[in-house]
Amino acid sequence: MSQAFVSHPSEVTSLGVDNRKLSIWTLLGSESVFFSSLIVTYIVMRGKSVSGPLPHEALDVPLTAVNTFVLICSSLTMVTALAAIQRGQVHSLRRWLFATILLGLGFLSGQAFEFTKLFGQGLSLSRNVFGATFFTLTGFHGAHVFAGVIWICFVLARAFHGGVTRDNHLAVELVGLYWHFVDLVWIIIFTVVYLI
Amino acid sequence: MEMSQDTRRRPRLSYLGVFGILAALTVVEVGVTYLPLPRIPVLVPLALIKAALVALFYMHLKSDRRLFSVIFGMGLLMGIGLILALIALYAPPLLDIK
Repeated sequence: MSQAFVSHPSEVTSLGVDNRKLSIWTLLGSESVFFSSLIVTYIVMRGKSVSGPLPHEALDVPLTAVNTFVLICSSLTMVTALAAIQRGQVHSLRRWLFATILLGLGFLSGQAFEFTKLFGQGLSLSRNVFGATFFTLTGFHGAHVFAGVIWICFVLARAFHGGVTRDNHLAVELVGLYWHFVDLVWIIIFTVVYLI
Repeated sequence: MEMSQDTRRRPRLSYLGVFGILAALTVVEVGVTYLPLPRIPVLVPLALIKAALVALFYMHLKSDRRLFSVIFGMGLLMGIGLILALIALYAPPLLDIK
């Protein structure tokens, strides 16, 4: 195993679970509250803008639906990557992680395209309440997706250096939990912001 | 490393099946916006079903240690409570679902 990826013995907590996995779930629990606060701010501020652009004028539902599908696909590739390494298939893991990265970048590209289009329509953080709440909510989500892509890249690099095996693949599981959570949050955001 | 035996033996087809349901529900959700149907009572449950599928099957909450469900569930409950409380304070008409 490469010296760069020496795994330190994990600490088993008094609860009998790996402390790293416990940490990730605790993080996701706190992130749930964080995103809930942003979502409810968007909800209660809807209809409070005194000037446009307004949601029904600005938002492109079909484009975002495609973007949503891309993110759902990335969740499939992520969980398939985990299933692959659970069977000891490192090559397959690498392929599926790479696919997840590509789909994540595809989602971010879609977001960037949408943001550019909205800027062109005059919508911004400071334009009106809709702009402020929309860009804050989707911007933070996009930042989480970006961080997730970076994280998956690190795991993929580790997989290429022999640091991920059938008996040592917690890294894949942890990044997978984070990635699925990001997808889960987008499912809610898409419904609340674009569809309702 | 903590990993449920169930998650190791889970057939890949179930992941694909979940994906199919997620994709189909997304199509239904978008379709609802073009129909004369009340949106909140239809779309919110659909979104919650999709979120639950991701949490239970992709995040393996269904087959993993219950402790993780408790930890994540506590965060979710706090988040949902926050949402309901602030809607009740600042946008109470939204809670009158017709």
